[in-house]
Amino acid sequence: MKRYSYFIISLLVIILFSACEEDEGGTAPTVSGALSIEFDNYVGTQPMQLDPEGSTDYRYTTGAGQEFNLSTFRYYISNIKLEGPDGASFEDEMNASANADEVQGYYLVQEGDPDSYFIDLDEVPVGQYNKMTFTLGIAEEGVQEGAAGGILDPAEGAWFWTWNSGYISLGMEGTAADSPQERVERDGLVTEANTFQLHVGGWKELEGNDNMVNNIRTITLDFGDVVTVGQDVKPKVHLVFDMLKILDGAAIDFSQTFQVHAPRAAVPMADEIPGAFTVDHVHQ
Amino acid sequence: MLSGKQAGSVLFAASLLLFSCQSEGDEGLMDITYRFEKPANFPEPTYTFENNPVTPEGFRLGRRLFFDPLLSRDGSVSCSNCHQQGLAFADGPQHPFSVGVDNQLGIRNAPPLANLAFKREFFWDGGVTHLDFVPTNAIENELEMDESLANVVDKLNQHPEYPALFKQAFGVDTITSPYMLHAFSQFMVMMISANSKYDKYVRNEGETLTDEELKGMRLFEEKCGACHSGELFSDFSFRNNGISTTFSDEGRARITEHPSDIGKFRVPSLRNIARTAPYMHNARLKTLEEVLAHYASGVQESSTLDPLLNDGAQLGILMTDEEQAQIITFLETLTDYEFIADERFQNTQ
Repeated sequence: MKRYSYFIISLLVIILFSACEEDEGGTAPTVSGALSIEFDNYVGTQPMQLDPEGSTDYRYTTGAGQEFNLSTFRYYISNIKLEGPDGASFEDEMNASANADEVQGYYLVQEGDPDSYFIDLDEVPVGQYNKMTFTLGIAEEGVQEGAAGGILDPAEGAWFWTWNSGYISLGMEGTAADSPQERVERDGLVTEANTFQLHVGGWKELEGNDNMVNNIRTITLDFGDVVTVGQDVKPKVHLVFDMLKILDGAAIDFSQTFQVHAPRAAVPMADEIPGAFTVDHVHQ
Repeated sequence: MLSGKQAGSVLFAASLLLFSCQSEGDEGLMDITYRFEKPANFPEPTYTFENNPVTPEGFRLGRRLFFDPLLSRDGSVSCSNCHQQGLAFADGPQHPFSVGVDNQLGIRNAPPLANLAFKREFFWDGGVTHLDFVPTNAIENELEMDESLANVVDKLNQHPEYPALFKQAFGVDTITSPYMLHAFSQFMVMMISANSKYDKYVRNEGETLTDEELKGMRLFEEKCGACHSGELFSDFSFRNNGISTTFSDEGRARITEHPSDIGKFRVPSLRNIARTAPYMHNARLKTLEEVLAHYASGVQESSTLDPLLNDGAQLGILMTDEEQAQIITFLETLTDYEFIADERFQNTQ
């Protein structure tokens, strides 16, 4: 009996393997594996660290020599796609559902919440990959699904502009010695002195209106190497995001630019977003 | 072809089918009260029904929320404060600007609510691009309800009745903001105003327009139809209609941040327009007579004035007093008395 079942198992294994071989030769493979992406935020060469709001302990310095720190740093990632040299491809499934458990394909990377640094893509077809594309922000397709849950729920911490519907793609807040922001207290809500709040948002492309600013950016990155997604091998792509590239690239002078809450003023920062991401390394 | 017995079973099966059809039909009759149906003369809706289909439970929940001042910071202001059914869900003439918590005045005239499932953008400046997001604006605006979405959700979760109503409507154990906004939308998409005298005339439902009304309709099409086009009587573009020369409220430019949009506001639908005085974003005109007189002789020039109101020779639209009166006679046929008395939209609490 035992010998008989061994025989059957061996037979099944042979069938499975040959099925895989056939797939590679012909149509797209149907067997799936997984790939993990790590988002590692930096400020220049320093790993990003947050300070309490209003703290005047300045860890960082811009290229122009202005000292600052960060109390909040976050961005949305969506529409992740993978491509390989031999035609393998993967598109993350997207769903902006009211049901938080069914929200798919939208990710919030939030400094201080280590769980949010990792995006695990399951259902990636087995194969070789060397390139990825993703969107920074929530594009029209996501916004125009209407009210959504989980990381897209403004009552649960999503950053959403009500007056000009849309999610804040990227937000950075902190204190800068040169920021002229005064301390403001209203109904118990305090904005501390010398703080800055730079919010990048704006996704609209509306027919017949060229005035609308779209700050959604698409980022394409080469791994610089080929990784293999297999049933038992889960490669990891380690990305570095250097927020100093945004501040320096957009020549942010905190004495002038310390509150940005509308699309047009955020364009210079949005334009630097694609260049702020690099693939640090990949683990096979 | 069939034996008696076979024929009998076919008949039996057929009657079963009929029976099941019948019972579905009955349910359908009951449900039709809360089913979204596009009026025959309307364009396709824009609302994302696939994400939020209307159900009786969801609609009733949305209605309850619409009338509930719990939404505001101090429990004093509900949606219905500024959107009254008898006025086609606009605000009254005594409130040219919305009155919010602590008796604060808003900055614009509250627009009437109707046919919201057919619009792409909302509010005078079109900043909101999906109906689901509309209530959040009123809730979080400091001059209106001055409450946070998160607080409203907390209050609902702690309420003795709301959790069960959300469970019935959406099957959820905990209330979250998207479900609250979906309930609102289910109520709002059903606010269809398509049974005015005009509608029944264009749909050949036995209604006729008088000679004066027909003259007014033809004049309206000629003089006003370029902007107030289609069955919703708006092309939903943003235009400066010469109501002022300077604009402390920049209107569309507040959203696009572009100087060429300063002073532009959404072309409003004219359905129920005779019920929704005062007029314009800043409520400057009190009657339809004043509105027509504005277009005939009151248009003021500024750099973003709509080209249709400035042909180079003169400002405004050439209309005699008699023509203005005839146009108003036609506009009055756009009042939908069934809509403003529809019991489905009344507070049943």
